[in-house]
Amino acid sequence: MATHDNTEHVSDATDEAVGWESKLRYFLNSDFVRSAPYWGIPFVLMSIAVYGGIGYNFAISFTDYEGLGTPDYSTLDLEMYAQALSSDAFIAAAQNNLVLLVGFTTICLVLGLFLAILLDHGIRFSEKFQTVYLLPMSLSFVVTAQLWLWMFNVESGILNLVVTTLGFNPVDWLGNPSIALGAVIFALIWQFSGYTMVVYLAGLQSIPDDQFEAARVDGASITRTYLRIIVPQLKEASVSAAVVLMVFALKAFTFLYALVGRYRPPNGTDILATLMVRRAFKFGEWAYSAAIATMLLIMALGVIGPYLYYQYKQGSL
Amino acid sequence: MVEHDSSDESVNRRKYLKALTVGAAAGIAGCTGGGGTETESTESGNGNGSGGSTDDTETSGSSSGGSWDSQLEVLHGWAGGDGEAAVTALIEAFEEEHPEMDTNFQAVGASANVNLNATILRRLANNNPMSSFANWPGKNLERYSGALMDLEADVWDAEGFKDTMQARAVELCKFNDQMPAVPIGSHRMNNLFYNTAVFEEAGIDASSLDSVDALLDALEAIDQNTDVTPMAQAMVAPWTNLQLWAQILTSQSGVEAYTNFIEGNPDRAAVVEALEALKTINENYITADASSISFTTAGQKVISGNAATIHQGNWVYGMFRADDSFNYKEQWDWIPFPGTEGIYFYHVDSIVAPSNNPSREETIAWQKFVGTKEAQIAFNNPKGSVPLRTDIDPSELTDFLAMTYEDLTDSEAYPPTIAHGLAVTPKTMGACKTAFGDNFMGPFKVEATADALIAAVSE
Repeated sequence: MATHDNTEHVSDATDEAVGWESKLRYFLNSDFVRSAPYWGIPFVLMSIAVYGGIGYNFAISFTDYEGLGTPDYSTLDLEMYAQALSSDAFIAAAQNNLVLLVGFTTICLVLGLFLAILLDHGIRFSEKFQTVYLLPMSLSFVVTAQLWLWMFNVESGILNLVVTTLGFNPVDWLGNPSIALGAVIFALIWQFSGYTMVVYLAGLQSIPDDQFEAARVDGASITRTYLRIIVPQLKEASVSAAVVLMVFALKAFTFLYALVGRYRPPNGTDILATLMVRRAFKFGEWAYSAAIATMLLIMALGVIGPYLYYQYKQGSL
Repeated sequence: MVEHDSSDESVNRRKYLKALTVGAAAGIAGCTGGGGTETESTESGNGNGSGGSTDDTETSGSSSGGSWDSQLEVLHGWAGGDGEAAVTALIEAFEEEHPEMDTNFQAVGASANVNLNATILRRLANNNPMSSFANWPGKNLERYSGALMDLEADVWDAEGFKDTMQARAVELCKFNDQMPAVPIGSHRMNNLFYNTAVFEEAGIDASSLDSVDALLDALEAIDQNTDVTPMAQAMVAPWTNLQLWAQILTSQSGVEAYTNFIEGNPDRAAVVEALEALKTINENYITADASSISFTTAGQKVISGNAATIHQGNWVYGMFRADDSFNYKEQWDWIPFPGTEGIYFYHVDSIVAPSNNPSREETIAWQKFVGTKEAQIAFNNPKGSVPLRTDIDPSELTDFLAMTYEDLTDSEAYPPTIAHGLAVTPKTMGACKTAFGDNFMGPFKVEATADALIAAVSE
């Protein structure tokens, strides 16, 4: 950015002035400044698009901005936050978000680890299974949501075909508020357990065979070998997979929106993101939505923060 | 792009972004030594095709009627099926009338205008208005309060629409002493469509259905005597329950009870009674997959003979008609919703113009066209709705629509629909939908729904 050079040479400069000038010249010739055009432009664009947006959202959330006017910055307060925290809809959405976050991430990790261990045992067609498990991950939420809408259909869905064949009553997967969230989590797990599997598989394959052999020689059972020796070495993989999954859980908006094609998801599956979009774009409650957005951001940071700290402690940051 | 540059003073998101962009552009330009034309790029997205940067000078002498200077940009939500056919017919007729005008008609999503309304709201909030957009008139316009253009003198008076449009449509197009909308068509809400073969099999005489109780008996008879599900209902969204409930309330307790409800004086007993009847229907007589299907899928169930009846606005007529083997008076027939005979439950689609209009002259010409006989006939026949002009020859409409049109001009009462923006403000409508969404999607909680509905209109 600062490419201008100080071309004015002061002829009768003192030692001090020369020192200052050469310092500046050193600075301008440093790697930091000379590389600036390369990292600087993306940095500026990023700042505007992401951090500028966050900043503006933050500012709006303190106003009472609503409808089609312009925000009034003269009275800034936390009213919108208080209003959100005392609203049942917000609490319910936050709870659903938390359940989604914890349930989805945990089950995905456990299932992915299980699949990875199976595949790591060199079963036949393991590459093909790997592809089968991973494929859903490559589909867009829009596709998987429509697919699961059909699967969950009470009358003609394949899930109820199974349920009724087993002799149970058909289940209203998405219509019953007490199981709708479970159904959504189930669909998301279907889509993302393949991803955790791949992450774990990479981790498993990087563990040398010697360790399995040594454990066997020492007489450890397979379960014991995995629990005591192998799984503890997958901590890195677990942490990074968990972070990615949690971020996806916070972004489940896309899935829910594609499921019903509107901002109100099936009863019992309202999350903060859907609530926020609904308040903003159906009713123009910009300030209120901005407050929800800020709290959603804080939740996301709550997930990412410990990870970054962990990475920092490990020395990889 | 011409007139609204200096209208507001305080910071909004567009200005903020523009400032940042300009700052960044200047910074980059400073680095690279390039020219200063980058700032133009933020505006060029809606240029009119005749060259980006000279727009401002071109539009200065724009009063001559023959040539148009700006692009007409119209947003609507008719992205598929009958709606798409209707709007295409409308656009073709308009382009024939004004072949030299540069137009840009955009269909924004489907799904009950969710995307359309969000897009309009966002663009108006960003002070980036379009020429006009499709929306419901009436209380629905509250959403765009303060950002609407007054068409009263330029369109309504100039074309004499106040005399040729239905009086209540004229009233609905008034908002805050302005007339920002021109109605394009009306759907009737109090319908019961039925599959004639199923009714015959169950031994039901449709003309004898004159009350909600009679309807419940008929549904029970269908349930007992046939393998067909008595009623198709779509509950993927709560508005279908809300509109069906409004029909039941009106049928059981009269138009006055409904009017009192939307005006904020609800009678709790009547509200509860209607909810009880709706609960009976939803628990016993609708398809089991109701909670995951939309109204188009529900309508298909009537066509395929898997369901006997459906209550919907008569947009399902547009859908029935698209199926050549499913004909009016043969495979399907219609009665007014039981107990609402002589009532035309009122729904209006209109074309609304925002203020700060980017193409004032073009917008006026377009809005004038929307109100013409030609436009109303072209649009409404494929759409399954009826024109709001009082001077249409019914023979220009299809049989079913001609009948509906006669009811439109000659009914005893015209209660405005609650689920489609006319009766209550968008906020109240949202609260009513939430009342059903939270409490009445199964399990059906009558008392909780009644409380929420009453709270919604009493605020």
